Amino acid sequence: MIITKKRDFEELMENVKNYRNFFLLGCSECATLCGTGGEPELKAMKEALEAEGKSVTGTFVAKTGCQVLGTKVELKPFKEAMDKTDCIIVMSCGAGTQTAVELYEDKPVYPANDSLFLGNMTRLKVFDERCSLCGECILDKTGGICPITRCAKSLLNGPCGGSQDGKCEISPDLPCAWELIIKRLSKIGCLHLLEEIMPPKNWEPSYNSGLPTQKGKK
Amino acid sequence: MKAGSNLEKVLEGGYFTVTAEVGPPKGTLANVVKRKGELLKSYCDALNVTDNQTAIVRMSSWSGCILLKDMGIDPVMQMVVRDRNRIAIQSDILGAVALGIRNVLCLSGDHQKFGNHPTAKGVYDIDSIQLIQTLKTMRDEKKFMNGEDISGEVQLFIGAAENPFADPFEYRVMRLVKKVKAGADFIQTQGIFDVGKFIKWMGMVRDQELDKKVHILAGVIPIKSVGMARYMRDNVSGISVPDAIVTRMEGAKDVKEEGVQIALETIDQIKEIDGIHGIHIMAVAWEDIVPVILERAGLLPRPIL
Repeated sequence: MIITKKRDFEELMENVKNYRNFFLLGCSECATLCGTGGEPELKAMKEALEAEGKSVTGTFVAKTGCQVLGTKVELKPFKEAMDKTDCIIVMSCGAGTQTAVELYEDKPVYPANDSLFLGNMTRLKVFDERCSLCGECILDKTGGICPITRCAKSLLNGPCGGSQDGKCEISPDLPCAWELIIKRLSKIGCLHLLEEIMPPKNWEPSYNSGLPTQKGKK
Repeated sequence: MKAGSNLEKVLEGGYFTVTAEVGPPKGTLANVVKRKGELLKSYCDALNVTDNQTAIVRMSSWSGCILLKDMGIDPVMQMVVRDRNRIAIQSDILGAVALGIRNVLCLSGDHQKFGNHPTAKGVYDIDSIQLIQTLKTMRDEKKFMNGEDISGEVQLFIGAAENPFADPFEYRVMRLVKKVKAGADFIQTQGIFDVGKFIKWMGMVRDQELDKKVHILAGVIPIKSVGMARYMRDNVSGISVPDAIVTRMEGAKDVKEEGVQIALETIDQIKEIDGIHGIHIMAVAWEDIVPVILERAGLLPRPIL
């Protein structure tokens, strides 16, 4: 899922200081699981805005905020609230924010969250980055552990000289991805996979600059 | 000869080789590099110029190399993949060769987090092993990474680093195999303080007969102070300083002399290891001591050829 983090409320207030009426849009998927854009967070945001003397014309948690057409249909009943609002605050990820931008071309849209990464919830409210959406998966060659994402230098032929006691040089809290890869490949009897030099990566599929894609194909 | 550099000639000639390191300044003063070059010129076979080491912005490695080359010194251009993508890397190599630089040391580079621009985006388009491979292809096939032809010769003597003290220890030699397979002609290792561990590592290197395929220069870092010993033990990633060394420095009457003694003992032990072709001295901010150490180690005169 897309991991999001609530932005600083004061910064948000500074951004929207010229507006009075707000519509709050959340999402029932990732943002709800992250606790950044579900019903409780929308309620809290509404109260916080009202405490600042602002008024909230409506709130809604979209089923899947990045699904533009579905969200459009879901938001139809909120036409009046949307007409009355000066701006929309989106409490999901960057994609959800841009759904609102696409649907309401004449309304300013503000993100309430920072989108951090694509990750897994490993324990309750603990999220670990696992995938960089690089467009050409190499997990088959690395025992299912992604060095693009989890190695601080995205090395394809690691580990570098900064791997110590299973940790990455950049933080004692960060496991060395290559140590994990070597351990896992040893366990499954596939360490020989690392004998070959992995060639330079084709980064082209990861830089699509918003080019529309269909059915997963460019 | 692949590149005809002095370093290549000395190593291929089978001589015990000495290289040292020149850190360029955080500024534009060419004299800083020249002064270090002057100091070390008669004591080494080649001099490395670091490439924004510890991710701190400094004068570029290639320009430092040119300043040294103009003084008749054989420079080793260090190149990290942290700051350049494959386009800039290949372009810089063409320029370096055009200017007469012949030795290149391929590195990943210290992570940008450690430097003075921690908010920078690290590039890491290719890794250090792929960099070695790229240079070999440019030299041997006169082709770019994309297969297109390069005009002119690309005379390069290709170096790589290895850290025998990083983990997982058992895998380090397998990675060195990959570096040699990729095309490394010489290796400069991380600074050695734990000679026992280094001897063990060299045993694994000889088991794979890597010492026959690549020239290995063992890294030596002279310790200037107790603070430096402690700092390297506790804070510098990839360097393993045993407590015994720190204790020795702490107990020394003349701390600098003790640092020199440790370096000399290390060099003496290293020289005896089968398969070692030379030493690489990294006297960070203590270049003055390099001539002293080499003289007392009986490794002069230089350059040997």
